[in-house]
Amino acid sequence: MSGQAPQEVAERAREAAGGEHALATVTRERSLALRFARSRPTQATSVDDLTVEVAAVREGNVGRATTNDVEPDALRRCADAAVRAAETAAGQAGPGAYPGFPEPGALRAHHGHDPETALLDPARGGEVLSAAFEVAAETGTQANGLWTAGEVETAIATPSGPVLVDRVTDAFLKVVAFGAGGRSGYAARTSVALRDIDARAVATGAAAKATAASSAPVALEPGEYTVVMESHAVHELLWVLGQTAFNGLAHAEGRGALAGRLGTRVVSAAVNLSDSPRYASTLPRAFDAEGVPKAPLPLIQDGVAHGVVHDVRSGAIAGASSTGHAQAGGPAGGPLPTNLVMVGGGAADEGELCAGVERGIYVTRLWYTNIVRPEESLFTAVTRDGTFLIEDGRVTRPVADMRVTDSALGVLSRVRALGARSVLTSDGELYGRRFVSGSVCPPLRAAAVRFTGSAAPGTSSRASGA
Amino acid sequence: MDLVDAASGRASYADVRHVRMLAEDVALRNGERLLDRREEEGIGVRVRVNGAWGFGAARGSGRADGEDALARALALAQAQPVAVGPGDEPGLTPEAPATGSHTAPCEIDPFEVSLGHKLELLAQAEAAMRCEPLVSVARAQVSSRSEEKIFASTDGALYEQRIVECGGGLVAIAVDGSGTQVRSYPGSHSGHVAQAGWEHVAELDLVGNAPRVAAEAAALLSAPVCPSDRTTLILAKEQLGLQIHESVGHALELDRVLGGEASYAGTSFVPADGIGSMRLGSEVMNVTADATLPGALGSFGWDDEGVQAQAIPLVGEGMVRGFLSSRESAAEIGLSRSGGCMRAEGFTRQPIVRMTNVSLDPGTAGTLEELIAGTQRGIYMETNRSWSIDSRRLHFQFAGEAAWEIADGRLQRMLRDPVYAGTTPHFWGGLDAVCSPSEWALASVTNCGKGEPGQLASVSHGSAPARFRDVLVGSG
Repeated sequence: MSGQAPQEVAERAREAAGGEHALATVTRERSLALRFARSRPTQATSVDDLTVEVAAVREGNVGRATTNDVEPDALRRCADAAVRAAETAAGQAGPGAYPGFPEPGALRAHHGHDPETALLDPARGGEVLSAAFEVAAETGTQANGLWTAGEVETAIATPSGPVLVDRVTDAFLKVVAFGAGGRSGYAARTSVALRDIDARAVATGAAAKATAASSAPVALEPGEYTVVMESHAVHELLWVLGQTAFNGLAHAEGRGALAGRLGTRVVSAAVNLSDSPRYASTLPRAFDAEGVPKAPLPLIQDGVAHGVVHDVRSGAIAGASSTGHAQAGGPAGGPLPTNLVMVGGGAADEGELCAGVERGIYVTRLWYTNIVRPEESLFTAVTRDGTFLIEDGRVTRPVADMRVTDSALGVLSRVRALGARSVLTSDGELYGRRFVSGSVCPPLRAAAVRFTGSAAPGTSSRASGA
Repeated sequence: MDLVDAASGRASYADVRHVRMLAEDVALRNGERLLDRREEEGIGVRVRVNGAWGFGAARGSGRADGEDALARALALAQAQPVAVGPGDEPGLTPEAPATGSHTAPCEIDPFEVSLGHKLELLAQAEAAMRCEPLVSVARAQVSSRSEEKIFASTDGALYEQRIVECGGGLVAIAVDGSGTQVRSYPGSHSGHVAQAGWEHVAELDLVGNAPRVAAEAAALLSAPVCPSDRTTLILAKEQLGLQIHESVGHALELDRVLGGEASYAGTSFVPADGIGSMRLGSEVMNVTADATLPGALGSFGWDDEGVQAQAIPLVGEGMVRGFLSSRESAAEIGLSRSGGCMRAEGFTRQPIVRMTNVSLDPGTAGTLEELIAGTQRGIYMETNRSWSIDSRRLHFQFAGEAAWEIADGRLQRMLRDPVYAGTTPHFWGGLDAVCSPSEWALASVTNCGKGEPGQLASVSHGSAPARFRDVLVGSG
């Protein structure tokens, strides 16, 4: 990368596109990912790649082009493609709706980069896998999982001249342990820095779940149950809200779950939720994909909906300013929150949350969450890797995985208690150019969560969200 | 081949892929032009050392780029806990070295079609949808993608491959005080994409279908809710394709069956010794994985570890007959040959087991009209809207965009918010009729996610409308 630092490449790309009407973004990813299954290493990936995206505006029409070649000819081709697209659109349809790139604002420093993690030493990954395998051997379980670390450097050459630069690191470990009876348990940890991840602790947590109860899983009938959700499961609820409730484009078009409901009580008064990009344990970002500085944004306070997130395009439709939530790749899908933080409550831990439950279900995580009816934040998902029956205030027996079909806003409106400790939770999914995000959230207890089916053969289901 | 030679002394196996990708997405959404062109080029090197795999990816095409990727792949393989000693690592099924070239059919290069022409076509389609006042969002799109690949391995393989994909689709979202309804054409996952050129987009007739799509989206707003019932369900091809994809294709991926995906995509309810002994569905259920299907997105000349494309029976008369496999997973259960299912997204990801074109073989039930005529009472459902299935591929719930009541052998009123749910063997056990070959067609899935780091794959599924008995249907 000598002579090809992202900020320099971004400047060259912007100039190739004509400067004042172009935004050039360079994203360089260096990453390692080590997978393991059945207590053996299975796949290991090392990526060193860079993406140059040029966005050109002509009369409110945006053309985008991307390359991973930084040679002058390639940058010129990329810039030409973006400009040609914007000019073709303008020539055919006249003025477009894009209001223009935002002026760069003042960036604030954050704690999102760890130099030691950025070294990306493969030996660190090997040590983590060894620790996970040792715990598995000690506990009579099999370890499956992922360890990954990465550094992402982003440079945006803005039309007015300044080049914004952000450098972040991330580290993630998850272990899915399988006990002798085939039951699985999950534990995970996400951080800016590798040193924050205690591999033995994560592996031990997963193994403890897998071996927590040796009895055969109970098959429960569909119905409404009181639920204690770990933060991993709560993170899925927040993902649903991000897609359905806080997406400013959907909101502006009347399709959002908060359409017509801002300023009203939408969930329990115990729920406080914000997008806080510099919160202590989150994965910070300096700016969004359009170069707008990240800043704290209250979304739900004391159960009342306060706002949604915007990029430049959705803000223009709504008559609002960008809140710094543009996504990479353009505005088609709308803006999304990236650093959701949910304030915790008074329960010491999950055990205390269970203490008040006569009969309910303990959910470690939700899987294959998909949105059924966005305007109601209605989703469906299946429990996974640690589902248990709660009886008389304590976890007693494993439960066969169950399908939840409920409204995310509805579940949060039935919150009865929140754990005191909010933790950074990520699903560690790494599609496309690396962008690890997570929410900081506590475990919770909610009443009357709707379960519509069981993965246990022979049990009944309800093909209904209502 | 220099890179392969460099790797051969330091790894028991190595393969190298040089990939050049060009893609273009053009869309109109409520009058806004969304124009995106992407190109990338790089080298991916995979090595195996003492049973551990390492994969390195570097952009570019030069010798130094490749050597950098190789060095990182070796370092990564060597850094992992050693599972086996030299010479003791699990075998790979033997494979004759892949040599030659493969080019997928493409009559009209979509990258030679002007942007202006594409925008004009989309403008007509989008305008036709926006004529419907209740349509709040109208989107028309076309996409094109080409991938050129050179593959070499220490087994002596050396091949070149060029695949062009092209397609398009429509989405109309209608909104009123009662809610939101959506209709898509030809399918809800990027419309319909095929290994083909621009001629495929022309065949889709986006403009001609736009008014119907918009009208149906609007009509759904006031349609009655799909009633909850245990009834007979007839699935149209796109939803049926996704049903095959999720509950049959993924369930028969051998890496999942063996536990290799337990930490992410999940495992499978099908055991590794299920071939010939496990019933997956009724006797009219026959499923084939075919990587040689012309026009289908899961077709190729060779997979990403040099195994030639082939057609594999997966389910015969309801019984498991085969798995989707790699050279490593096939060897682990004693199969004589890999199923040739290893594919990678671009150059930055290593190959993993991906389903090829998993299709339900046609039956003898005639046309869709005849199938409906032979159904006294039930539901006919079209176009996927939502999908979810558990980590063992057992319990699923799908939502369609629209359904129609069937009574006395005829389609009756349209129904909104249709959902159905079940467990895989019970659902496929209720299959009692599949339409004839004249109704058989491909549907595409362009967003199949798997792997860590995540990879998106495209695949096609062939099917003819099929009838399932005793299915739980309701509303979402």
